[in-house]
Amino acid sequence: MKFKGKSFIAIVLAPEQPFDSWFSELDRIIERSPGFFIDRPIILDVRGSNIPIEDLERVLEGLGERSIRVMGIDGISGTRLKDGMPPSFGGGRLTAEVDVPEPDTQAGNPDKGTHKEIATKNGKDASSGETDSAPETNGHSFAKSLDELERETAKQGDSSIVISDHVRSGQSILHPDGDVTVIGSVSSGAEIIAGGSIHIYGALRGRALAGVAGKDSARIFCTKLDAELVSINGLYKVADDFDGTLRNAPAQIRFENETLVFEGLN
Amino acid sequence: MSNATVVVVTSGKGGVGKTTTTAAIASALAKEGYQVCAIDFDVGLRNLDLIMGAERRVVFDLVNVVRGEASIKQALVRDKKLNNLYLLPASQTRDKDALTEEGVEAVISELRGYFDWVICDSPAGIERGATLAMRHADEAIIVSNPEVSSVRDCDRIIGLLDAKTKIAEDGGRMPKHLMITRYDTDRAKTGDMLATDDVVDILSVPLIGVVPESKDVLKASNVGLPVTLSDENSPPAKAYQEATRRLLGENIPVTIPEEKKSLFGKLFKGRAA
Repeated sequence: MKFKGKSFIAIVLAPEQPFDSWFSELDRIIERSPGFFIDRPIILDVRGSNIPIEDLERVLEGLGERSIRVMGIDGISGTRLKDGMPPSFGGGRLTAEVDVPEPDTQAGNPDKGTHKEIATKNGKDASSGETDSAPETNGHSFAKSLDELERETAKQGDSSIVISDHVRSGQSILHPDGDVTVIGSVSSGAEIIAGGSIHIYGALRGRALAGVAGKDSARIFCTKLDAELVSINGLYKVADDFDGTLRNAPAQIRFENETLVFEGLN
Repeated sequence: MSNATVVVVTSGKGGVGKTTTTAAIASALAKEGYQVCAIDFDVGLRNLDLIMGAERRVVFDLVNVVRGEASIKQALVRDKKLNNLYLLPASQTRDKDALTEEGVEAVISELRGYFDWVICDSPAGIERGATLAMRHADEAIIVSNPEVSSVRDCDRIIGLLDAKTKIAEDGGRMPKHLMITRYDTDRAKTGDMLATDDVVDILSVPLIGVVPESKDVLKASNVGLPVTLSDENSPPAKAYQEATRRLLGENIPVTIPEEKKSLFGKLFKGRAA
């Protein structure tokens, strides 16, 4: 079985009080460009607003009337959502602004313009169950580390990120655009998902999925190999199928002729 | 007016010895002369009152205080033996959803004014009760047994301590201490148990103490006394006393207290079968 990652740009809508005028702004955008919201992934961002569930219901209803289908809600615990509501969503990362068709020249829509990049992972069942049960938690720690890293990325002008701490069980680092370097260990039950290569200066005891955006040349490096699962470009191997001689040794894993090649690093 | 250090005792997994540790550390600190309060956050499954032998004097509980139905002073239960040790019991008839974040914050900040140490006994799990118990802590004691599932759950909890606590959200880092409990020296020798070094290596948290598996712990809880008070010279009591000194900042090497065997025991060691 293969599972691949694919990243989509989602439009993030952050509802603002009063909702009536917020909706009329939305209507102006739709009037100007009727196809703008069609077939685009749309996330509702209520982070920090502490929105009452009744208000959220109204907002979703209003969006539904405008044929805007929300795929997930960011910033709210899944346990607060009612049946039939879109699921809670975490782990987003801000990207550049989307070009919004301007309803009129002077009125900008700064909040509606922001959007996040989300990476969806096919074969969700293959990912750890914890990711599903506690999206808020994962999103939190992950967003925190990425926030910090994004600044570094901007400075360096490339797309690799550095995590200078241990990645603990239940945490998930998702970086579909490039390499991930971890200075510390990746614990059992943690996962690193990278578009490029993964470098771990410490023990790899969790999962490492490199090249998820379809990159064969991605590799995984670690100073102590004790992983639960490694994957490059969707091809994976679980710990039981590893070559025992490299256990707890420094190793690299690369993709060659549709197989994963494990090699010691010395 | 003192300003307490708030310590959360947490583990993720159940049955590893959080409540025993809370009671032992709290009473050891009280014996050193500090004003100490132990809070039971395990609403619905309270145990700390039993371990501390206070179950027959509980009137109000944490939920009453959080909901404003009783004052903290009404709810605090004074220890039988040490008059500077108090317990804030959990409610047995409610569940963890009865606790609110604002309420817990208010309780902790009021207790900070009365005590030198506030020790929070976290429930198992990573849900509301556990996250509320750790939320306002200044330091954490992570309790792990030397076996893989307990270690992994601790790792998860450490991740939460670095993400969901007040300190972490303010950009700080919570100081953490690792307490290994139910350590069996005989099994460690034969290798069918994780060694302390492995646990420390996996969790990367400094060790504060190793408590041996012992009948004294069970004996102490049956008589309703923290193990550090029931038999001060038992190996677990010694381990907790040493851990407490390290918590207070003393730099002493971690030793693993052993069960003293009688001469007979030594002579017949391993020959019983």
